[in-house]
Amino acid sequence: MTEPHWLSAAEAARAFAARRLSPVELIDALLARIDALQPKLHAFIRLDAEAARAAAAEATAEIARGRIRGPLHGVPVGVKDIIDVAGLPTTCHSRLLLENVAAADAAVVARLRGAGAIVLGKLATHEFAIGGPALDLPWPPARNPWDPSRFTGGSSSGSGAAVAAGMVLGATGSDTGGSIRLPAGFCGIAGLKPTPGLVSRRGVIPLAPSLDTAGPMAWTAEDCAILLETLAGHDPADPASVAVPRLAYASGLGGSVKGLRVGVLRRFFERDAPATPEALRMMAETERLLRGLGCRVEPVNPPPLSEYNAVTRVIICAEAYALHESRLRTRLDEYSRAFRVRVLGGALLSAADYLAAQRRRSELIAASLALFERCDVLLSTPTQGPAPLLAEQRPDDGFARPFLTS
Amino acid sequence: MTNDVLAALARAAGLEKALAQFPDDVAAAAEQALATASAFTHPVSPAAEPWPPMRVPAP
Repeated sequence: MTEPHWLSAAEAARAFAARRLSPVELIDALLARIDALQPKLHAFIRLDAEAARAAAAEATAEIARGRIRGPLHGVPVGVKDIIDVAGLPTTCHSRLLLENVAAADAAVVARLRGAGAIVLGKLATHEFAIGGPALDLPWPPARNPWDPSRFTGGSSSGSGAAVAAGMVLGATGSDTGGSIRLPAGFCGIAGLKPTPGLVSRRGVIPLAPSLDTAGPMAWTAEDCAILLETLAGHDPADPASVAVPRLAYASGLGGSVKGLRVGVLRRFFERDAPATPEALRMMAETERLLRGLGCRVEPVNPPPLSEYNAVTRVIICAEAYALHESRLRTRLDEYSRAFRVRVLGGALLSAADYLAAQRRRSELIAASLALFERCDVLLSTPTQGPAPLLAEQRPDDGFARPFLTS
Repeated sequence: MTNDVLAALARAAGLEKALAQFPDDVAAAAEQALATASAFTHPVSPAAEPWPPMRVPAP
């Protein structure tokens, strides 16, 4: 059998049901792995080993009695540390919130626990989910398990690292301008930014409320679909939550893609934010594979990437500054440099700038939706190339580079 | 934009303390924010609605 820490969540569930593995055995394997790798990878801010072991024992007993709650029962997951877990601090990786103990689980955590998933602990992030890897924070930045000298991507940096290193079988992240998709890309795993309104943001500390979503990260698309089935659902306590029918996201995964119309966003990664030769070769190979499976693969013509980037940045900067304005005036020196450089500029943006960005956003959404008249899915690369070196990440250039995950 | 102009804008925006403590950070932040604000097409039609569009629940 595959080593327990390399099982997907779906495989672990099948192993539990077949009594080939128990949640207690899996938790023991993961905790040993975390013990070995955490000093090098810094994926976790806080490990809740005792509670995880207790939950694993309970899950093992329930499964042995035939009471299987679903495909996440007994599956260990990590939670990005901007998302509340009752009784644990939600620090946002910041010295400003060291004592911020959550009174209740966030909606996504409550749903995961209700499905029998086991919360292993809180995962590293960029400070308040923005700002990049920083060395002037209470905890070091997470490192890429494929090469610890390299960046994980962020801001769900610990989530990307923990999944890719086999420390957890799934994780929650959040995505405002790429914070699930970018670490999923750099860490070589799957990640999904759900449609806004699908996953409740109750108990998630906001960065830019009009763009924030919480979502799953895991090794496989199947696991992301299984996680999304649990995470999604109307929550009256979140004003942005929509009441739509629950879908069985995992049920359509085994079907044929013959005839699927794939629109390739070539202008983004060939012209607007040129990808490396290596990434271009991989995109060409992906297109070839999809054609071989019977897909119709054609380029589509969206507005320039620079429009999406600038609109996203203005919205994030303005909304994040508004949320942090009073603390920035009184506790400025407690924030990291990376946060200050990305957010202080919000003070100089006018209401007209912000509204222009939201108006242009409406136009870009309409233009993007129009692309789906000719295709069923869009294809791009989430990054311009491989994960860069951590040492090359500078606090003051984060908003200067193009990004493919607006 | 000169450093003096950036500093004046930062003060006008209430960032005197930040400017005194972290002038380089404020300069970098201001430069990036202002450049970004003019880096997209500002809609000209008054009919372009901000996102999300206003919706009133049905009676």
